[in-house]
Amino acid sequence: MESRSDCILTQRLDALILVPLAAGLLMSFPATAQAPAIPAVPRTASAPVAPTTPAPATQNTPSRFVVVLDAAHGGDDGGAQLGETAAEKNVTLSLSVRLRSLLAARGFSVVTTRESNVNVDSDLRAQIANHASAAACVSLHASLTGTGVHLFVSSLSSTSQTRFLAWKTAQSAFVTRSLKLASMVNSALEQSSASSNGDAGPVSLSIPVTLARTSLPGVDSMACPAVAVEMAPIRGDDRNVATGVTDPQYQAQIVEALAAALLEWRTDAQGESHSGGRQP
Amino acid sequence: VIPRYQKIVFIVLLVVSIAMATILVRLRERAHDRLLKGEDLAPTTAPAVAPAEHATLLVANDIDGTLVPEEHSLPLPKDAEARARALLDKLLEIYASPGAMHPVDSAPRAVLQVFLLPVSEGRDGRASGGQMAVVNLAGSFADGHPAGIEAETLTVLSICGTLHANLSQITEVRFLVDGAARKTLAGHADLTRTYLTTEAVSAAGSSSGAKP
Repeated sequence: MESRSDCILTQRLDALILVPLAAGLLMSFPATAQAPAIPAVPRTASAPVAPTTPAPATQNTPSRFVVVLDAAHGGDDGGAQLGETAAEKNVTLSLSVRLRSLLAARGFSVVTTRESNVNVDSDLRAQIANHASAAACVSLHASLTGTGVHLFVSSLSSTSQTRFLAWKTAQSAFVTRSLKLASMVNSALEQSSASSNGDAGPVSLSIPVTLARTSLPGVDSMACPAVAVEMAPIRGDDRNVATGVTDPQYQAQIVEALAAALLEWRTDAQGESHSGGRQP
Repeated sequence: VIPRYQKIVFIVLLVVSIAMATILVRLRERAHDRLLKGEDLAPTTAPAVAPAEHATLLVANDIDGTLVPEEHSLPLPKDAEARARALLDKLLEIYASPGAMHPVDSAPRAVLQVFLLPVSEGRDGRASGGQMAVVNLAGSFADGHPAGIEAETLTVLSICGTLHANLSQITEVRFLVDGAARKTLAGHADLTRTYLTTEAVSAAGSSSGAKP
């Protein structure tokens, strides 16, 4: 894990005051500069929601490898309407809860942006991710358009990492690693489609995967390798829905593929760490 | 005593005045009737006031997440802003048609205006020669747009790509909804930022399953 002393700056005017103060403090106390600094974040009207971290996963992990799971929408913001009863906010929360359980069982320290049906502002989502000093951030979405799983990485141009990052383009310093993370998720999804459970279970679904770049308000402000995963129905050649987004097997396969990708991401990071290189 | 010839002149002038007043009232009634009749017979389609030209539209495909260049022939005005709006009207008309690969519900006058502004570049603020298109979308269009990262991103990029393909001087695009800034199109794609048309060009060049 590289040094997390990066500060994320809000574009608001009050940041102009915070910057010299923060810089002055860092120069005055060099010992504190080595510790992970708490990034300056935009002030929000609502009270910050404390990130939920499963206690056993945090306490039992020798080296802290944090993954942030961002279940999109929530509260008044239902997101896309996925049929008559299902809303995107419920599907993303379901995926987040299932993935959190799988990751916690594998020794990850998991931080979620929401655990229930509550409103969470996009700035607050990025704020939670940046406070967690995450090694990977996964934003979960669902939609009725397209087919399969859509993987998105920020369309910001890649820049070198500096001590201070602009709030709205903080992700630009992590785009290269985000692309690598998206590539691992893509590989895991392809492997899950190709694998067969034999007689023990149902046959794996063949999940088409699309990779693209986009601009999402929350993800663009995240100072960590981040990928947005959008789950869409699997469609046949006639463009009719073959498997819906509420299908339990489909959801389970996606969650397991994401867990496998994050496991590989951690292994890769630890390997680079032991060899003296930078972690992803 | 009034002379006889003056009496005759007065009577003639009175008769002429009454006749003219009658004719004016009648003409006014005819004009009113013609106006009402004209409203009833208003044409349902706008007349083609400009010659048809070939235009390249970057049409989105939801299935593989690509932008496909398509050639269309349509009347395009000479004025660049009106031309840009006509192109986007055609693009959104395709999305609203049955069987579209990127279905978006139609909205009357989905594109309210397109403004072209010079792009300043560098610290000196000198014009770079490029233009920024400010696309003012109707609120009804944004409200009725399908929610989803892919669907919204493809709409935004296809608008950017179509503008650049036909008006190469457009290098940047910003979006307004009902004349005001809006955070996202339908909950996902960021509308607060400036889009570079090169992003749409690279998206059009990508294919399904390609590494980003």
